[in-house]
Parts: sequence; structure tokens; C-alpha cells
Amino acid sequence: MSLMDALPTPRLRWEGRRPNGVLLSLSVVMLAAFWSLDAVSVAPNRIVAGTGYGALEAFGWPGVLLATLLLSAIGLFAWQPSTQHYRALLASLMALMALMPVGLIASSYLLIDPDLPQARLGLGAAYWVILFLLLLCLIEIRLRLKLSRLWPTLLLTAVALIWWLCAALWLDSLALVQEFRARDAQFVRAVGQHITLVSIAVSISVVVGMLLAMLMRRYSRLQKGAFALLNFLQTIPSLALFGLLLGPLAWLAAKVPFLAQLGVSGIGTAPALIALIAYSLLPMVRNTYIALEEVSPATLDAAKGMGMRSGQRFWQVRLPLALPVLLEGVRITTVQAIGLTAVAALIGAGGLGTFIFQGLGQAAMDMVLLGALPILMLALVVDAGLGALAEALRPGGIQ
Amino acid sequence: MIELAHVSKRFGNETAVDDMSLHVPKGKFCALVGTSGCGKSTTLRMINRLIEHSEGDIILDGQAIKEYDPVKLRRRIGYVIQHTGLFPHWSVVRNIGLVPRLLKWPAAEVQARVEELMNLLGLSVGEFGHKYPHQLSGGQAQRVGVARALAADPDILLMDEPFGALDPITREKLQDELARLQAKMHKTVVFVTHDMDEALKLADHLVVMRAGRIVQQGSPLALLQHPVDPFVESLLGGLERGLKQASLTRVKDHMTSMGQMLPAQSRIPADFSLRQALSMMLRDHCDRLTVVDQHDVPIGELSLRRIIKEAQLDKGSA
Repeated sequence: MSLMDALPTPRLRWEGRRPNGVLLSLSVVMLAAFWSLDAVSVAPNRIVAGTGYGALEAFGWPGVLLATLLLSAIGLFAWQPSTQHYRALLASLMALMALMPVGLIASSYLLIDPDLPQARLGLGAAYWVILFLLLLCLIEIRLRLKLSRLWPTLLLTAVALIWWLCAALWLDSLALVQEFRARDAQFVRAVGQHITLVSIAVSISVVVGMLLAMLMRRYSRLQKGAFALLNFLQTIPSLALFGLLLGPLAWLAAKVPFLAQLGVSGIGTAPALIALIAYSLLPMVRNTYIALEEVSPATLDAAKGMGMRSGQRFWQVRLPLALPVLLEGVRITTVQAIGLTAVAALIGAGGLGTFIFQGLGQAAMDMVLLGALPILMLALVVDAGLGALAEALRPGGIQ
Repeated sequence: MIELAHVSKRFGNETAVDDMSLHVPKGKFCALVGTSGCGKSTTLRMINRLIEHSEGDIILDGQAIKEYDPVKLRRRIGYVIQHTGLFPHWSVVRNIGLVPRLLKWPAAEVQARVEELMNLLGLSVGEFGHKYPHQLSGGQAQRVGVARALAADPDILLMDEPFGALDPITREKLQDELARLQAKMHKTVVFVTHDMDEALKLADHLVVMRAGRIVQQGSPLALLQHPVDPFVESLLGGLERGLKQASLTRVKDHMTSMGQMLPAQSRIPADFSLRQALSMMLRDHCDRLTVVDQHDVPIGELSLRRIIKEAQLDKGSA
């Protein structure tokens, strides 16, 4: 044995603590966006396009300094990441998100002329870019700290509360707030309609999807045809499907008075629901089918060999073991339905899509946001909630 | 008691098991050995009707299994499989209590039985009872598998390569434990394996199968002494066969009373195997050993020349 073999391999002190490239580059991009893009825009009224202002004009020196410090902290902590550093990262992330509305309050004092009640403050590109990148950072940190999905959801809920509080108390000049104030009753109704449409469509497709998946397992010949049909439905553009349903449904409502009494007509809720269910069936059936089929054959063989009847095998073994994947299907289906329901506004089904299309029609981007942001948040909340539920239901805590 | 009479199984045009006849007396351990695809697992699974046989009769305790309700039949037969087949979403206690619960035992009785079995298999109830299968090692998981199979105290135990997926040390430990349990409980066991050493170690009755047919059956010693063809001989380990046979024989069966010569230096306990005795002779460069009892008192001697002579006599008598 030579002397070289006897010596321990030299190890770098920070081995295994290599800089986290993802967070580092995100920090650099955020700093660049903060310094170069417009932080806010100010418009004298609803119709005129606003003038953009950089961070310095919008927040003043103290604000810029604080934000730069926090953004650089992300990069610094990411340089030598350890568990403590990731926790510190999470803290600075939360601080940044919580400070964002405070920055808006500052710029409304600095930039808005109190004598112009029509003047409104809009979020600039820097705001959107940084908000989006901060969310990416949050995902990365969650994975590194191996946190369950529940944590970021709770933290983001806290942040959302701070945003809401600021908006309600001090941000009258924010364009989004003004849009909301102008139609708050309509907004609440639209949120209600949106959630109702999604819940009905998803509940029906969960029941129908499970029945279909179970039938497919029994009659394998059905499987090919059904998947082909559902795949085909999925490829039809949503607007076209609404159009296709218009004729037959109007005809049905005219011929069968009972259906008309139920509210079935060419436009409105009925075609929207039918289309939503049609789109929801594929992810639901596919996931249910896979979930039920994927259960280990050895486990099922043992269940049978132990003397469990087929019903006992299904309810006590196959279904509980399939549940996490099955819930994943419900999650995908629901998130997809939340997005699709926006389009349903076009055929008069109501929901948050109404604001999007009205806003587009009036070239009022703030009104579009009033529709789009809640849809986004709804999707995120459902995604996190059902994801956490599926995680909690994994058998015996298997990851 | 299990009786197979001219049993065949066809899958379409393929014959998986061909005209198989087998008798396993009550309380005996029968091992089915063969290369993969020889029909041994199929045979086993026909006994608890996971596979229905095409021809012939399978009789348990005097009644054809076709007359049983398959579910009730399976509940009175213990079943252990290679990858344990434990339910991953159930705790150890719940897994073991499965069949008693299916049989609607009162909850307290189920709990008592589960604890009894865990103690029997060396699993501490406090430590393992509430764990889930993925938190167990392979050996622990298969102990739970065996406990589950024994839960409702079945007379018959079917084991399908139960230790096939374990590392050699754990496997040997579990084999020893199964032998110990069997000596105590006297279940009627049908055990499928491709590991001949395992079969030789555990079985009272050995069945060698090839291409769905029985090639030879008999006691392990009988097979080692007189394999019917080169296939069986190669399964039994070819040239190693002599040593395997020696490992099935106790020193005391070849011992003679103390002779006129000086007692040999090397000592061996009487209940050791002949294989260990031969190894000791090689190690200590001698052809005689002094046999001692458990208190290390000499009770006789073992001579290599005599062992060889007796082996010749055995061969001659066949």
C-alpha cells in the first residue's frame, strides 16, 4: 500500500454545501427587475394609460434600500445553504411579500396627488415579476426543507391577509381596489357562482368518473373506446364545445318544457356545466382507473388468499390504497375546472370570467385582474388543500 | 391432511401441472422444489383455490375442496407469500388480526391472539405493534407475514417461497425459527422453494418437480441417497450431495462405544451433524473423534472408516 492510499481524501470544508444555484439566480433576476422595471404606474383616471415610475420614485430611498437588502439576503443565504439558512431565507421571503403592499402605500403617498380623486395606482412589471419569482423561491425552499404542502399554504394565507388588510384600510387609490369598490356586490356574487359551478361539475364528474373507471375494469373492451372518446372531448376547444352545445340544448328546452323549467337553455348554466363535466371526466377517469389498477398485485393476492370476499378486498384494500392517486385526480380536475369556468362566462354562466371579458371589452386591465387574480388564488388554494389531503392519506405515511 | 389425486391444470393449451398425485399426512412438512415455471406455485395455489384445478381431486381432511366455499376454505388455510403481501396501510397489529376479524372473533380475543403470535415470533408488541410494514426490515416483515398466516390457528399452512427475497443470514434465521415453530405446532405445511438446502433443512417430505410433473418424491435422506436421474442429482448439488447427506445425519447415529485405543483428542457433541464431524476431522487432521454428551463427558467415538463402511452398506441395501 502506498502512502497516498493511507492518507484520507482531502475534503473541502463546505462540501455538500454548494451554493443553491436556483435561489442564487432568482435573487439576481429579482434584483435586476427591481432596479430596471417600473415598480408602479399612476393614471389620472380609468381610461388613460398610466405613467410608469421606477423603484426610487415609488418607494423613496429607505424603501429601495430595505428591498435591495432583503433581495440580496436571499442570494447571500443561498451561497452557503444550511437548514438554518433556508429558514432565514423563508423569513426574508415572507418579509418581502408582507412588505410589498406597504411599498404600495408608500408610493400612493409619494406619487398620488390628493386633489385628484380619480387618480389610480397600478402595479408595475417589477411587482408581478418579483411576486412570481418569490413564489418560485418558496417552492424551492419547501422542497429543500422537506416541508409538507400545508406550510406554504398557511404562510401564503397569512401574506394574503396582510395584503387584504392594507388594501382595505390604506390603499383606496389602488386601481384594483377601485374596481372592486365599484362592483363589490357583483364580485361576491361572481365568486359564489364560480365556486358553485366548479363544485357541481367536479362532484358529478367524480361520481361518474369513478363509476366509469370501475366499469372499465370490469369490461376491458369498454376501456379503449371510453378513453378514445374522452381524449377526443379533451381536444375540442372549450369555446367550440359551448357553441356545439348551443343548438341541441336550445332545441331540447323548446321541445321538453320540463327541462326548460329546470333552467336548461342554449346558453347559461346548463351548457356550461355539461362542457365542464365533459372536460373533467378524462383526468378523473384516467386517475381513478390508474389508481385502482396500480395497487400491488401481491397485496391483492394476499387479500384473496387470506379469505377476503371481493367486496372486502375492494373497500378495505384496493380503494384505500388507491385513494392518494385518486385524490390527485380530483385535484387536477378541480384546478382545471376553475380555469375553464372563466370561459363559461362567455355563454352567460356567470362567474369570475365575467370581469375578465368585460375588462377586455373596455380595455380596463385592472378589471381583468379583478377576475383573474381570484381565479388564480382559488386554484392555488384548492391545489394546496387537496395536495395536502392526498399527502396525509398516504398509507402509513409513505412518501 | 392434504391429498392430491391425479390433479392437472391447463391454461388454454398449456399444461402447467400434469397428473400430479401427492399425499401430505397431518402434521407433516412437505416441500415442493424445482426450477422456476415447473408448476410448484400453481400446485400450491390450487390447494386454496386461488387457481381452480382442471382435473383430478384435491381433498382436505376427507372432503374435496370443490365442495367448500372458496372464501371459507381460504380462511382455514394459512397463506404466506414471497413479498409478504402485507397491507401497507395497516399497522402490524391490524395486519396480523385480519383473518380472526374476518371470522368475527370478539375484539378482545383478536387482540390477545395477535399479542400471543407476536411474542411467539419474537416481535415485541410495544415496539412493532403500531408500525407500518414499510417501517420494518425484510425479516421482520416476513415474521409478521407468518404471524398473520397463523392468526386463526389453521391446521394447514401454505408457503410460497416465503424467504426467497431475504438476505442469506436473515433467511437462515427465519428457517430455524420456522423449524422451531413446526416442532411445537405440527401444522400440515406445503412449502414451495427453489432453494434445495432450505427444503432439505425443513422438509419431512420432498417433492421434486419438473415441467408440471413430479420427478421424484420421498424423504430428504432417501432422495440424497438415491436420486432417480441427473436432474434431481444436480438439484441436490451434484458432488456436494455427500456433504448434504451428512448434514442430515446426527453424530450419535454413527457413534460406537469407546474402543481399546486411546481416546481421540478432538471432541464433538453427540447431537452435531455428521457434516460438522467431517469438517472437524479435516481441520484437526485425524480420522477419529471422541463423542461427548451435553456435559462434555465422553460417551463414545466416531471413526471415519466406520462412516464410510456404513455408507457402503446403505448403498448396497438399496
